[in-house]
Amino acid sequence: MQPRRQPPPAPRSGPGNPRPTAPLLALLLLLAPVVAPAGSRGAEDPAQPQDAGVPRRLLQQAARAALHFFNFRAGSPSALRVLAEVQEGRAWINPKEGCKVDVVFSTERYKPESLLQEGEGRLGKCSARVVFKNQKPRPAINVTCTRLIEKKKRQQEDYLLYKQMKQLKNPLEIVSIPDNHGHIDPYLRPIWDLAFLGSSYVMWEMTTQVSHYYLAQLTSVRQWKTNDDTIDFDYTVLLHELSTQEIIPCHIHLVWYPGKPLKVKYHCQELQTPEEASGTEEGSAVPTELSNF
Amino acid sequence: MRWTLFIGALIGSSICDREKFFGDQVFRINVRNGDEISKLSQLVNSNNLKLDVWKSLSTFNRPMDVLVPSVSLQAVKSFLRSQGLEYAVAIEDLQIYHEMDNIAADFPDLVRRVKIGHSFENRPMYVLKFSTGEGARRPAIWLNAGIHSREWISQATAIWTARKIVSDYQRDPAITSILEKMDIFLLPVANPDGYVYTQTQNRLWRKTRSLNPGSSCVGADPNRNWNASFAGKGASDNPCSEVYHGPHANSEVEVKSVVDFIQKHGNFKCFIDLHSYSQLLMYPYGYSAKKAPDAKELDKVARRAAKALASVSGTEYQVGPTCTTVYPASGSSIDWAYDNGIKFAFTFELRDTGTYGFLLPANQIIPTAEETWLGLKTIMEHVRDNLY
Repeated sequence: MQPRRQPPPAPRSGPGNPRPTAPLLALLLLLAPVVAPAGSRGAEDPAQPQDAGVPRRLLQQAARAALHFFNFRAGSPSALRVLAEVQEGRAWINPKEGCKVDVVFSTERYKPESLLQEGEGRLGKCSARVVFKNQKPRPAINVTCTRLIEKKKRQQEDYLLYKQMKQLKNPLEIVSIPDNHGHIDPYLRPIWDLAFLGSSYVMWEMTTQVSHYYLAQLTSVRQWKTNDDTIDFDYTVLLHELSTQEIIPCHIHLVWYPGKPLKVKYHCQELQTPEEASGTEEGSAVPTELSNF
Repeated sequence: MRWTLFIGALIGSSICDREKFFGDQVFRINVRNGDEISKLSQLVNSNNLKLDVWKSLSTFNRPMDVLVPSVSLQAVKSFLRSQGLEYAVAIEDLQIYHEMDNIAADFPDLVRRVKIGHSFENRPMYVLKFSTGEGARRPAIWLNAGIHSREWISQATAIWTARKIVSDYQRDPAITSILEKMDIFLLPVANPDGYVYTQTQNRLWRKTRSLNPGSSCVGADPNRNWNASFAGKGASDNPCSEVYHGPHANSEVEVKSVVDFIQKHGNFKCFIDLHSYSQLLMYPYGYSAKKAPDAKELDKVARRAAKALASVSGTEYQVGPTCTTVYPASGSSIDWAYDNGIKFAFTFELRDTGTYGFLLPANQIIPTAEETWLGLKTIMEHVRDNLY
C-alpha cells in the first residue's frame, strides 16, 4: 500500500509558529528544520536519501510516544491502538535541548489474537506534536486521532470487559501472560488488555528520542480488587527496550472504571522514583497528587 | 497451538510413541551393583514417568542413558537422590538436534550434520550441510539462526527451512539450481546454552552463558562479539548489559567456532543471520553510518526479497542498512562477514512488530517460515546468478 506523500513544506525559520507557545516549546531554539517525507516499508524508492534515516527513526519514536499517550488518555482497554505506519513528519532538532516532532501516522486496533486479516484492520489516522527533552523523560504530547470505533460501541465494550473482569476467579494464580509460548488464555484476555493500558502510561513517560519500549509479558499479579465502581489492579510487567535490548521489570498499580480517567502509579527497576499521574493530565513535567488514590 | 505441539507435528515420522517437549533431559546414571540395577529398573518401568531408555546396561560401571521428559524431571531427580544413585545430565534439550539428525538420516545424499565446535557449557554446535557436489570447496551460503536465544522464531524458522530444502530439492527449480552451484550451511542454534536457558530458567535470556570474572552477571551478546569494529558504538563494556561485547573479539566460543569454520572454508559468498523481532531486512553496516561499497546492490536485492516475502501474507518489512534502520551495533555477524569478503550479508528481523515480540505464538511459526523462505530464496538466487 503506497502512502500519499505530500511534497516537503518550505522550511520554517525562527519562532513564527502560529501555535500557542507552551513554556516547554519556548525552551527550544528552532535550528534548521529537518524535513523528511516518510517512506513506506518496503517501497521501492532509490531516491530516498540515506541521511533521512535519522529523521525517519525519530518520526517513529514520536509516533510511538504519541500513541502510548493516546491509549493512556483514552483509558479504554477495548480500544487500544498500535502503530501501523508513519506517513509524514518534520522534526526540529536542537542538539542541546531536544527536539520537536510533528508526525502523521496510521494506526490499527490492537488485537493480539488475530493474524493479519484483510479488511479487519481499519486504519485510523493520527497527527501529533511531540517534544522530546534531552535526558528527560515524559515527552510533551499533543495528539488527535480519527475515530476508529464509535464512542457508544467503545463504551459498551469497555463495560463488557469490566463485567468480565469482575467475574474472574481470583487471577492471582496466573503465572504469566502471554505464557512462554505466546499463548493468551481468552479467559484472561481482559487482564492483559488492562495491563497493556496501564503499561501505556509507563511507556509514554519512558520513551525518548532514542529509547522505545514494548510490553513483553505480564509476570505477576499482586492484587486484583473489583469494587462496585473500580478495578484496582497491582501487577508486574516486563518491558523490552529496543535500543539497549534490556528487559525492564515494572511494578504498576492502576485504578480503572469504564469512562473514567485512568489512574496509574508505577516503579520500574531502572528508575529510582515512583511516578504518579491522573487521567486528565496533559503531560506536563509536574507529577500530580491523587486525592483518592 | 503450542510450540511443543508444533515441533511435534514438524518432526512427524521421527516421533515414536509420544511427542518430545522442550526441556527434556538425558540422564546418565551410574550403576555399580545389582542392587542399583533393580532400583533403576523400578524407575524405568514405572508407567507414569514415561522414561525412555537410550542406552541400556550391559555391564556394571557403564552408565545408562535415560531420556527424561521435562514433566518428570523433579520426580526422577528425587528418586535418584533418595536411592543414592549417581547421575549426570548428559544433554539438555535435544529436540532440535534430534530433528537435525533425522533430516540428515532421511536424506544422506544431500545433507550431513556437521559438528563445528561447542558452546561454553560444552554443548555441541551442529550445522546442516546441504551439498550436491563433491570436491573442492564449492561457493557456499551460511544461514545463521538462534544467536540470540530468546528469539525463538529464529531457531524454529531455521529448522522448518531445513525440512523445506530437502523436500523441495529436485521439485522446485529454484532451490535445485541453487544447490547445483552452491552448498548451504545452516546453523539453527548458534547459541545452544542460551537456548536451553530460555527453556528452563528465563524465557527472555539473550546472551551466551559464559562466566564473567569479577562480575555476577553472566554472558556476552554474541552479536556484538565479532571482529568488526569490536567494542565500538552500540555495544557495552558492562557485563550486566544485554549488549555486552565480551572481553575481546571472538571471546565467545560459539562465535569463534563459526568464524574458524568460515575462514577455514574460505569460499563463502553469502551470510544471512535470522533474528526477531521488528520485520526488518538489513545489510551492513551496523558499526557505522558509512555506506557499504555494495550498498546499492544489497539494497536492491533486499527490496526484492522483502517484496517476495510480502507476497505470501502481506507481511511488510522495512529495508536498509543496520545502523540507520534500527540502531548502531558494532561487532555484529554480518558486518564481520561483509568485511571479510562475504558480499551478500543480510540480517532478517522476523515477525512481529511488537504485539507479541519475542513471545510469538506457535500458530505464526509456519506462516513466518513460509514467507521468510521466499525472501531467502530471492537472495540465494541472486547470489547464484552473481557469483564472484
